[in-house]
Amino acid sequence: MGKLWLICIASISILLPFLCNAFSPETPTDRRVLVLLDDFAIMSSHSLYFNALKSRGFDLEFKLADDPKIALQRYGQYLYDALILFCPSVERFGGSIDVAAIVNFVDSGHDLIVAADVNASDLIREVGTECGVDFDEDPSAMVIDHIGYAVSGTEGDHTLIASDDFIKSDVILGGKKIEAPILFRGIGHAVSPANSLVLKVLSASPSAYSANPKSKLSTPPPLTGSAISLVSIVQARNNARLLITGSLSMFSNRFFRSGVQKARSQTKHEKSGNEQFLTEISKWIFHERGHLKAVNVKHHRVGETDEPALYRINDELEYAVEIYEWSGTSWEPYVANDVQLQFYMMSPYVLKTLSSDKKGLYSTSFKVPDVYGVFQFKVEHQKLGYTSLSLSKQIPVRPYRHNEYERFIPAAYPYYGAAFSMMAGFFIFSFAHLYSK
Amino acid sequence: MPTNLNFEMARSLVGFTVLLLFLSICESASFFQPISDSHRSAAVELFSPDHGSFKSLEETYEALRTFDVLGIEKKPDVTATACRLVSETVGSSSSTLKDLFYALKANSIVKCKINDKAYQGIITRLNAAVDGASSLPDFYYSVGGLLLVKGSKGDVHLADADGIFRSVKAFRQSDGRWRFSSNSPESSAFAAGIALETLAGVVSLASPELDQSLISTLNSDISKLFDSIEKYDDGALYFDDKLVDGHDHQGPLATTSSVVRGLTVFAAVTDERLNIPSNKILGLANFFLGIGVPGDAKDLFNQIDSLACLESNRVSIPLILSLPSTVLSVTKEDSLQVNVNTVLGSNAPPLTVKLVGVFTSGSKAASLVESQELVFDDGTGMYNLNNLPKSIDVGSYTFVFEIVLHEPEHEKIYVTGGQKKVPIFASGLIKIENAEIAVLDSDLGSIETQKKLDLAGQNAVSLSANHLQKLRVSFKLTTPHGLAFKPHQALLKLRHESKVEHIFVVGNSGKQFEMVLNFLGLVEKFFYLSGRYDIELAVGDAVMENSLLRAIGHIELDLPEPPEKATRPPPQPVDPYSRYGPKAEITHIFRAPEKRPPKELSLAFLGLTFLPLLGFLIGLLRLGVNLKNFPSNTVPATFATLFHVSIGAVLSLYVLFWLKLDLFQTLKLLGFLGVILVLVGHRVLSHLAATSAKLKSA
Repeated sequence: MGKLWLICIASISILLPFLCNAFSPETPTDRRVLVLLDDFAIMSSHSLYFNALKSRGFDLEFKLADDPKIALQRYGQYLYDALILFCPSVERFGGSIDVAAIVNFVDSGHDLIVAADVNASDLIREVGTECGVDFDEDPSAMVIDHIGYAVSGTEGDHTLIASDDFIKSDVILGGKKIEAPILFRGIGHAVSPANSLVLKVLSASPSAYSANPKSKLSTPPPLTGSAISLVSIVQARNNARLLITGSLSMFSNRFFRSGVQKARSQTKHEKSGNEQFLTEISKWIFHERGHLKAVNVKHHRVGETDEPALYRINDELEYAVEIYEWSGTSWEPYVANDVQLQFYMMSPYVLKTLSSDKKGLYSTSFKVPDVYGVFQFKVEHQKLGYTSLSLSKQIPVRPYRHNEYERFIPAAYPYYGAAFSMMAGFFIFSFAHLYSK
Repeated sequence: MPTNLNFEMARSLVGFTVLLLFLSICESASFFQPISDSHRSAAVELFSPDHGSFKSLEETYEALRTFDVLGIEKKPDVTATACRLVSETVGSSSSTLKDLFYALKANSIVKCKINDKAYQGIITRLNAAVDGASSLPDFYYSVGGLLLVKGSKGDVHLADADGIFRSVKAFRQSDGRWRFSSNSPESSAFAAGIALETLAGVVSLASPELDQSLISTLNSDISKLFDSIEKYDDGALYFDDKLVDGHDHQGPLATTSSVVRGLTVFAAVTDERLNIPSNKILGLANFFLGIGVPGDAKDLFNQIDSLACLESNRVSIPLILSLPSTVLSVTKEDSLQVNVNTVLGSNAPPLTVKLVGVFTSGSKAASLVESQELVFDDGTGMYNLNNLPKSIDVGSYTFVFEIVLHEPEHEKIYVTGGQKKVPIFASGLIKIENAEIAVLDSDLGSIETQKKLDLAGQNAVSLSANHLQKLRVSFKLTTPHGLAFKPHQALLKLRHESKVEHIFVVGNSGKQFEMVLNFLGLVEKFFYLSGRYDIELAVGDAVMENSLLRAIGHIELDLPEPPEKATRPPPQPVDPYSRYGPKAEITHIFRAPEKRPPKELSLAFLGLTFLPLLGFLIGLLRLGVNLKNFPSNTVPATFATLFHVSIGAVLSLYVLFWLKLDLFQTLKLLGFLGVILVLVGHRVLSHLAATSAKLKSA
């Protein structure tokens, strides 16, 4: 019995830190990350990337993709906050994981990094399709660029690409400009134009195309030019974040350490931009950046402080909301000048940009429209790279009461005057009529 | 015990194959580069001590050994902390055998000062450990420890070397693998390496010397062990223990490293020459080099330590042929450079590198060049072929090299691996000529408009065509040697205003590249979209130095109206920057207030409304109105006054109703006042009626 007690205490004390560090709305950064590998040797060959993650406090758990014991959830609880798939050649996941399980994992707001590679398995392609990108269907196709390749003494087939066509977003790629091009070797993918959630973070140059470098090109390549995405991200509607790339080697120590010189360019960079690029983007993926929360939504009539149950038409009102951004360790004030408020009933009656005090407080004031009905205060903030904020609060607006209209209108003075002169006349007439002789 | 030597994880063979394939994709060429500066910088990065000291003595030794082999200047504080750790371990009698072993190993590199008394203590301890040892690791640590003490102190001997040799040998299995202890059923190549190292230690410590016949029995065991060697497609050889569920399972790198260490140490102590084919040694060297730069400290140590063992072994020393650049420009007349080094990058003995042949990739034709020798350049230490052979045009080739050692006895010491195939890309500037674009009439094929193109510069052609016409683009590519060149990428792109793109592969007919677009057949593919199409031409190849992507100009297409059921063009991606961003502000337009007359007008009319009252009053005065009929008696006079006060009160009530009272308050008061008014009025009126009747009758 005593032994059982000890085991209980021990298991609680082991589990406790995990339970405490778990993902929560208050601290949205991921903590527990499952890394699925084709081979444990990737731990060694890609250690710089993993170490960068570990040094930021992530708890990486490495498993073989075909390990029969892996599972994403147990007893309905997810065991991990994020999943990294560095297993381009896996044909079948072990354990209870399959494509549907991964989709459910993302649907419940968890993050995912997928790296495919040349000869990526159908399974990984399917995961890509579920994420909204289509990898080149030819299994031996690679992205080739005869103009934007990386100069190398030993690489002659121009499949090692130096790309620097980044998305212009500080929140995704960090404030520091990435100077050196990114080394990429792998397969390209296309982003479906109908899908507005997928963004190309790193695009190929206009001269690139996707084909098998060893065979002759007889039909037009399915992917060409800037339409080829090398690295794409998805921010789902539930703010789950995904990274999809067609190159596993771009995460490798070799590419991290390698120098890079783009063809036809004289500048030789000591180090490729891969480390900076992938580290910065992983900060975004794991919600260390660009994750917003809105608190303290307040509205009241001008001059009052309490929130009324309803407004009357033509009331002057003030609206304020505080917005903070998660910095990985704390909530920092979010500074922007394009947060907008809508006063909405079927369509916006008022749409106004909120003014910011640079400390996270956004406020504005406006006059309630002279239309009564059930309105909503709506803040729909969607910005490239940030989680979308969607606040709405219902508020009825009533018309004037009968006694709230204007009294003693000057235009009516003649009518008043007529009535009172009549009454005065009647009073005098009553004397004249009764007592005159 | 094996757990002590354990790695954190088991590696599956299949997985490792994938890694090697992956690495070979990374390396792209199937030849191996010797150890370079990237290993040195990786070593400094990986073996970075926390607060000046490493986690364990084992790691300290691994760091020191790696730095030593790579020739990295040791930081003084690393040496100092290592020495402190060593003397602590050596001085304490409670340290484990393993720690003692690694302390002595680290000491053999940093050469700390250990006093004689400590040495004596260690020797007694180790001797006792040898006598009491029952498993292979126990023997390994104790014998290894004694050997290290002998290295720095001298005069250490094993009394019963023969007996120890036999008891270690008892762990041997028939297939050349060894067991860790007599009660573990599994045998492994990893243990074989440790056993060989231990036995070599026993041989060196033996006094008097061991019987050579005892040693030579091991020769056949080593041969058997090498029968189980595994092979990759690129010629790399390695050992792997196929223990699927064993938690003490080592990866191929650690296993191979252990075997290489045991083998080379054993080869150094035996007089006999080991019967191992030299190509296998080269295969092992290729395995270690093929890993590239490991990202793990343990892997790096295993790689570097094994290569250091191979660098100076007594079996055969591998020589590695490598090329600094495999992309050579025909136009710039790059010279072919070849390096021959040992695995750690030091110079090779005098030798000649021969270019045996050059073959076009993917074809089985005969060699393009005669066999020739490369010239050795003393300055760079490289073997050069200053001008590429005339028969080498742009393209991808396989060059075959052979190393010939100058001195015949070197043949026994070194292994070169016979002929070496290296893929080489010969690149060059491609001449583009006769570039033309033309619009043709469909039925006759007659040229309507034709424009010359300068693909090296800018073009801005503007053409127009209808669906009955054709577009022809043609150009000619020639290599520096005047032959026709077929690039991998020859694409023509037409982009409509609405960003719908159409891509065509430009085919070649003999020497000329030509493509004819018959718009009649393409109308449907073009989604019946008339308008301006931008034309872009991309010509590129891996060996073409002037690959190009040019906007040629545009063509104005006049296509027929789409029929009812024509397919619509696919949606085009929306610019992500425009999708977000603030919307235009909306302000509510309030209902305009009703129009009112000016206040003055209202006041004027207010004045007018009092005019009739004024007229009425004047009229009354003119008529001579008087109050003579007002009752004179007190009682009727009181009632008359009350009557008029009541009328006044009712009228005031109306004013109050207008100002503030509501209907109910007013009615309540009015009812009260009404009753008084009626009663009082009745009395007044009846009094007045009586008075007037009295007057009439009178």
